[in-house]
Parts: sequence; structure tokens; C-alpha cells
Amino acid sequence: MSDWMIELVDITKRYGDLVANDHVTLRILRGELMTLLGPSGCGKTTALRCITGQNIPDDGRVLIDGKDVTDVPTHRRDLGMVFQNFALFPHMTVSENVEFPLMIRRMNKDERAGMVMEALKLIHLEGYAKHYPRQLSGGQQQRVGLARALVYRPKVLLLDEPLSNLDAKLREEMRFEIRDLQKRLGITAVYVTHDQEEALALSDRVAVMNKGCVQQVGTPAEIYGQPATKFVADFIGLSDFIPAKVAAFEDNSVVLAVNSERIRVPAVNGLQVGFDVLLFIRPNDVQIRPAQAQEDNTLTGAIDKSTYLGDKFDYRVDVHGIEVRVQTHGAERFEIGEQVSLHFPYQRCSVILDTEVCPVR
Amino acid sequence: MKTLKQYLRALLDAKKLLAYTFLLCFFLWVSMPFVMIALKSIGKNWFGKLWLPPDLTADWYKWAIVVTNIPEVLKNSLVIAALAVTIATLIAIPTGWALGRRKIPGKEAITAIILLPRMIPPIAYALGVAQIFYRLHLIDTHIGVAIAHVAICAPYAILVLSSTFEALDDRVLEAASVCGANNMRTFFHVTLPLVMPGILSSLIFTFTTSYNEFTLTLMTYGPKTMTLPVRTYLAIGEGYWEVTSALSMLLIVPSLFVLFMIQRQVQPEKLVGGFKGV
Repeated sequence: MSDWMIELVDITKRYGDLVANDHVTLRILRGELMTLLGPSGCGKTTALRCITGQNIPDDGRVLIDGKDVTDVPTHRRDLGMVFQNFALFPHMTVSENVEFPLMIRRMNKDERAGMVMEALKLIHLEGYAKHYPRQLSGGQQQRVGLARALVYRPKVLLLDEPLSNLDAKLREEMRFEIRDLQKRLGITAVYVTHDQEEALALSDRVAVMNKGCVQQVGTPAEIYGQPATKFVADFIGLSDFIPAKVAAFEDNSVVLAVNSERIRVPAVNGLQVGFDVLLFIRPNDVQIRPAQAQEDNTLTGAIDKSTYLGDKFDYRVDVHGIEVRVQTHGAERFEIGEQVSLHFPYQRCSVILDTEVCPVR
Repeated sequence: MKTLKQYLRALLDAKKLLAYTFLLCFFLWVSMPFVMIALKSIGKNWFGKLWLPPDLTADWYKWAIVVTNIPEVLKNSLVIAALAVTIATLIAIPTGWALGRRKIPGKEAITAIILLPRMIPPIAYALGVAQIFYRLHLIDTHIGVAIAHVAICAPYAILVLSSTFEALDDRVLEAASVCGANNMRTFFHVTLPLVMPGILSSLIFTFTTSYNEFTLTLMTYGPKTMTLPVRTYLAIGEGYWEVTSALSMLLIVPSLFVLFMIQRQVQPEKLVGGFKGV
């Protein structure tokens, strides 16, 4: 039995001239929660709908639990899905809503009642069985949607931006509930969102997408710490990109030339001397020192802007015309115009190619 | 009496006084004719300048039923209304579906054309309808009168149904599909219950419109297809206002009943909820 519960193999989907999914290949392990993360229009919802069967891909295959389901209609794929706008049946009570998938599968009444009760217990809404959706709050409605999706223990749970319509505090609570439920039931889940915080907090792995293609697939730590492309680096957290040229190779390192200064960073494949690349680092990893400091891996510049943010300072430093953003909790304060020395710790730096071309996966 | 209390309280507030007085007058103006008719239909020996009839009787109703052959007339009204409702609804369902759920170029123009028969007073085209019907031998047939009624019944039905179908959220149908329901089961368990209030509302509007229609019936009826509104009109000509009043009461009562049913059946709150945001 393969490790993969869901496979999207080389999926391409076009809407007229727009390519919503461009040779997308994604493989999702059994029992993992994979998040599809990206801005609006990146193709994450299209990919999700290829899994559910609401979209039929122009090219490529969809496999669920080893079976090719590309030609299987939605209602026979045995999935559970939670929608952004809840999509509860307004003319049915909470328990009728949750019972619906069981009723469709022609389970007998007693079994159904038992499973519905269990499901309601899972989401802590046992007392609301006879209520109608319109009588519930947003958070409660979404929990009912979750119960309805999970009641018959499907192999796969799909969530399409389920928390977007809830307020911020509720979102955080529901995040934990969803993750908790998913882990307890051991169910494979695919989560779609544009909120990077959600993605980093919830997922086993994240697939970052942009303009119809997958930029990078990895754990939250990998996505944050070792972004593979400029888009991923830019989309997650704050970033600094400094134009540089590959000067030399040393052991496991690459030496980059930034104007007249030299910065050593961990090596990356596919580079050659003379390439134009981007030196990438997170603003709160850059160490800011007074100008006279003597250290390797430093660039000098002058403070251009300074912003006090309560728990930290946000500086924009002008390094030979390039603006480098630095965030520091440091006790030292620097004034505008002051000359400073920026230290780039070896381990925190990366090289990224300045390109929009999607890596073929 | 809540309103009497409010009225007295309003006497202290000039603006409210004005508003309540206006409402009172409006209410009297609207209800007086009906009160007059109701009294006339049960009054005996009511001549001269008396405000109220001195005696009450049910004779006028008996007279109306026997002389004007109410059962036959009522039967015609109902049969024609039933035919008109069926035809209008059969037209309105696909039209409403298309207008409510598909992108159609010139949707506003089409909607305007559909509403045209209601915008133009029926008397303007009733004569034309009559001429065509003569040629087609549709005069004095139930189906003929019903077809004439469809022209004014269908617009309402289309309007109500198109907004009903528009309110049907695709994503709820998708949810049903993901839950395992194929197209047919989704239709029976989800679509139908959700559009039923709209369809009932459309049926009620259409029925009432046909039942009460006078002008078009006048131009297309014959001895075999006498409807209640036409018979009432003819009764005025016959001179016995008491009988006419009795007929009018018979005309009003089903309409009031239908109005009552509308209040109970079409519960808009059943159609919303379970959605958020868009």
C-alpha cells in the first residue's frame, strides 16, 4: 500500500486563456494535514476542487488511496468537506444536517442516531441538535459543518478557507480544534488558505502556490527557514533581498559579492561564478552594530528610517542604494543618518535566484 | 386596544398626532367600501338615510345563489384559474431558472418585456386578444380564457421564481454532492424544499390574479365560461344592489383566505441562515 493518500499528478486546468493549474503535482501522505497556501488566484482552490471532483482537469490524473478517481463523480468519492461559507442546509436542523451523509448512504435509523450523537459530542454541540443553522453563531455553524464532514469517517477531509468568515479570536480557537480533531481521528486533510500564520501553525506540510504552479512543498520550518524561490521567501514572513553576484566557491559555501564587500553563505546547487543572485535573510536575523565593528560578513550603511514598534525597532538601512530592513530588540538605539555595520550570520543567510519562473516538480 | 392607547398618547405629540390621524383616515377610506358592501349584503328594509340596516337577513345570498347560478359561475372561475396557473407556472419555471441563474445578454430588456402585459392596462389589448381568439375559436372556452389570463399571470410568476432560484446557493448543492447525494437526490432533499416557498408564493399570486381578472375575461367569455367578476358586474346592471353586494362578498372571501395562507406559508426566514458572508 502506497504512502500517499492523495495524488494530483501533472494536473492542468484552464479557464479560457487563464491557466489556473499548470502541471501541478502534489502528493499527500496518509494521516497528514497538508496546507495549500497562496494569494488569491494562485490555483489552490482549483486544485482542491480537482480532488473533490467539482473540477475536471484538462490534463493529469487524480488518485485517492491508490485508486484513479479522475473520472469518478463527486458524490462517489467518499470525501468530507468544510466550506468557507459553511453551506449548511438551512431547511434542516443541526442533527438533520449532520445526519445527511448517513441518510444518503441509506444507513438504518438507529445506527444513524448513534453516529450523529457521537459527532455532536466531538464538536461540543450536543444541546443544539434541534436548532436551525440560522439560530447559531458563525463558529457554531462551522463546527456543524465539520461534524457533517466527519460523521461517516471519510478517508479524506477537505477544508476550503474554513476560518475566513470568523473573527480573529475565534479563528485561533477553531484552529486548535480542527487540528486536534484531525490528529485524534488520524484523518488525512487538505487545507486551503491564504493566511500564512494559519498554514505555519496547523500543517504537517505546506505547499506554497502562485499563479497556478507549486513553488515549494515542505514542513513549516523548511518553508520559513529555507525558502526555495523568491516568491516563497517573500510571501512568508518578512524578507530582505540584496542583489549580489556569485564571486567564488569555498568548501560548502558560496561567496557573494555585494558591491565591494564579501558575504559567505551556505552553498546551493545550480550556481556558477558570475551569476546574478539575491542574498536572502529575515530582517530579525540581521545584526546591527555601530559602524566601527570588525566582523566577517558585514555590509556598511546608514540608517534611513527608524520605527518604534513597542517590542522592537524597525530600521531601514541604506546600503549603497539598496534598502535593507532590520528588526531588532536590541538595547542600543540608532539615530537616523548614523553609520552602522550590518552583520549577516552565516547560518541565517540563503541564496535565491531572482526569477518568477516556476520550479518544475 | 393597543392602537387606541397609542392614539391617545399621540395626542400629546403633534407629529405623531398627525401621523396617526392620517393613518386612521387612510384606513377608513380603504375599508369603508367593504363595510358598506358587507352591510348591504345582509341588510333588510334599508332605505333612506339610516346609517345601519334595521333588520338582517340571509335572503340576498339565497337569491344570489339561485338566480345567478353561483355554483356554476364559481366552478368556471376555479377551472379557469387552475388552467391559467398551470400554464403560467410551466412557462415561469424554466424562464425564472434562466433569468435567475444564468448570464444572459440583455437581461434587463427581457425582464422589461416580460413585465409589459402588467404595465399596459389590459383594456388596451383585450380587444386585440378577442379578435384573434374569434378566429381561433377560443371564445367562450375555458382554455381560451385561461390563455388570456396567462398574459397577466406569467409575469408575476416569472419574477417571483427568478428571485427564488437566484437565492438558491450553489455551494449548498455542492455540499450535498460532496456528502454523497447524486443529482436526483440533491434535487429532492435540498433543491425542492428550498424553492418550495417560492413556488407556493408564485402559485398563490397567479391564482389570485386569474380569479380576480375582469377585463380580459369580459372580452373572451361566453355563456359557458361566466366567471365571478363578470357575473358581479352584470348584477350591477340588473339593479339589485343587495344581490351584487352578496356576490361581491363571495368574491372577496376566497381572496382573503388566500392572503391569510400567504402570510403563513411564505416564511422568508426559512430560506436564509446556514450562510455567511457572500
